[in-house]
Amino acid sequence: MMIDRIARHVIEGGRVNADEALDLYRHAPTHRLGQLADAIRARKHPARVVTYIIDRNVNYTNVCVARCNFCAFYRPVGSADAYVLGFDEIFSKIDDTIALGGNQLLLQGGHNPDLPIAWYEDLFRAVKARYPDFKLHALSPPEVLHISRLNQVPVPAVIERLVAAGLDSIPGGGAEILVDRVRRLLNCYGKASADEWLDVMRHAHRAGLRSTATMMYWTVETDEERIEHMLRLRALQDETGGFTAFITWSYQPEHTERGGVEATGVDYLRTLALARIVLDNFDNLQASWVTQGGKVGQLSLAYGANDMGSVMIEENVVRAAGAAYCMDEIEIVSNVEDAGFTAKRRNMHYEILGDPIFRERDIPRMLALETARAAGDSSVPEELRNYPARSRAGKQLRLAQ
Amino acid sequence: MSIDGLLDRVAAGEALSASEVLELSAGHDLLALGTLADAARRRLHGSRVTYLRVAVCPFDDVRAGVVPAAAREIRLAGAPDSLGVALTAVERAKAVAGGRVVSGLSWADVARLAADAGVPPARALADLRAAGLEALAEIPIDAVADLAAVLGTLTAAGFGPLRLTVAAAPLAPRTALLLQVAELQRQSGAIRAIDPLPTSLDAFRPTTGYDDVKAVAVARLAAPNVASVQVDWLRHGPKLAQVALIFGADDVDGVPAADEAPEGRRRAPLEEVRRNIDAAGLTAVERDGRFQVVS
Ligand code: SF4
Repeated sequence: MMIDRIARHVIEGGRVNADEALDLYRHAPTHRLGQLADAIRARKHPARVVTYIIDRNVNYTNVCVARCNFCAFYRPVGSADAYVLGFDEIFSKIDDTIALGGNQLLLQGGHNPDLPIAWYEDLFRAVKARYPDFKLHALSPPEVLHISRLNQVPVPAVIERLVAAGLDSIPGGGAEILVDRVRRLLNCYGKASADEWLDVMRHAHRAGLRSTATMMYWTVETDEERIEHMLRLRALQDETGGFTAFITWSYQPEHTERGGVEATGVDYLRTLALARIVLDNFDNLQASWVTQGGKVGQLSLAYGANDMGSVMIEENVVRAAGAAYCMDEIEIVSNVEDAGFTAKRRNMHYEILGDPIFRERDIPRMLALETARAAGDSSVPEELRNYPARSRAGKQLRLAQ
Repeated sequence: MSIDGLLDRVAAGEALSASEVLELSAGHDLLALGTLADAARRRLHGSRVTYLRVAVCPFDDVRAGVVPAAAREIRLAGAPDSLGVALTAVERAKAVAGGRVVSGLSWADVARLAADAGVPPARALADLRAAGLEALAEIPIDAVADLAAVLGTLTAAGFGPLRLTVAAAPLAPRTALLLQVAELQRQSGAIRAIDPLPTSLDAFRPTTGYDDVKAVAVARLAAPNVASVQVDWLRHGPKLAQVALIFGADDVDGVPAADEAPEGRRRAPLEEVRRNIDAAGLTAVERDGRFQVVS
């Protein structure tokens, strides 16, 4: 009966509180949760349009001092397979992205102590000089914080300098669960506490940037903490209105220090649907087909998602942890249409750019995701010598160059 | 069509009409379909989901060493060249299986082996049954010319209750076939289970998540008189198999019997299948190849 009352409240456009969200999550049948989430999706997107973006997920370095225990991607400073991409490598990835109809890089990386803020500024300027219309969706809040600490420049000034260099928007990575108890257990409190993560986003939104928000669930958080995470995002969205979209995925355990098992598909659909209900001030929810696979990814469209995220082209982070699903534009569009929706390309601001590009011109099929670098490529980019290193290993590398 | 009205009828055990099933199957309201199929499943099985651990053996390599003790059924894989080879493989498998079910071959295999041996399918089936074969691995409702005749031949040869499969039919013809299965079941009562997801997977045109869960839900609603709707764990993977359970499936077939788990016990197939069933809010119960619960 309680579920019926909350469901009516949601259908009438009401906002749920923490207790109601918990009741729904724990007790509502999965299809019921889906129907509530789908009703909200239909209210916000009545034209049955499902969007996606063609962009490339580039990880500029895998060197990271944060050492989150759920991460299979990072390498400690000085590792044999540590890398920093060269500017030319990044340009060539942009060329490939443009060839596939893409208009943006999602650029994220580890917390590398040997990359000062000037490296980012020079990279962004160089990208914008060569590709003036190309967008940089770059540097999640913990990376911004890392740059701020490393260079002893306050966060608002870091954002201002990066925007001046060409930053267009900020990805919502590194949020994990925005509860400090959880962050301590995941060894990611040091990279950013919950307040610090939210503060970076607050500053970014105030500076006129839009960003996404994410949640990685199924590590050590309780149901209540998962809901607290959503409520903290909802509160900041009430304040700034700067979030364009919310993306959730389950922890990918392979090859991580933490280990364990992956959440199930039903857990994912329930969590997604709950997010659609709780985050009533977010317009867009992405389906995480990269972690859930194409089938559950498509089913997400019935459980509140209205966006298929990115065609990706390249992925390194969740692949390192065992997820390696790939869908190119043709496959994404056929999944969207098969589910009874109309597929449209969008930009990072969720503005519609047009119909699928493969219907306008021939584009190469992409049947496997690219990686940051070919295996065994340990080359050190030429321009790194221009940037002073902080770490002993970094200094040695510069000397050897 | 009011979903609430349909839900009341399904929950009361009433079969939906063919036109109602066809309309639901052609629509995009996946959650309505899922809600109805879940209600039908719960009426028949409550929260119980059965699973079957199967040892899949190549027909030319049947040895005790390749059949784990935990297997509840031995399923012969591959297509033998002749009826003689098939009979030998079945006899060997039966010797290893003891009291456990030996299954294998598709209807097409049987028809081919019989034709090559110059005997009618009924004769070949009787010989295979006598050698110890208890079930065919595939009886594809979309790949036999006369399903009623096939079911008749199988039951006359001592096979049954039967487990039907689908080879590759797309949704619309499959729905019509599933309605036909319900009719045949009304006449014969010989069908125990249906696995509505395609056994032949097309790497270039894979089915989608919507296709698959719709197929499961439609099977449940079109043939409510068939006790079990199955999903194959190994063929379709944990995520889809689990989601199928909330769209009307009540039985997980094809769980590997070998508990190879290099990452530790929690990731072994048995633990994984039980964890997934549990996380769908259902109760996992092991069964044997004759659909009997294993205590
Ligand atoms: S999740 Fe990011 S910050 Fe944490 S260790 Fe991995 S790369 Fe570093």
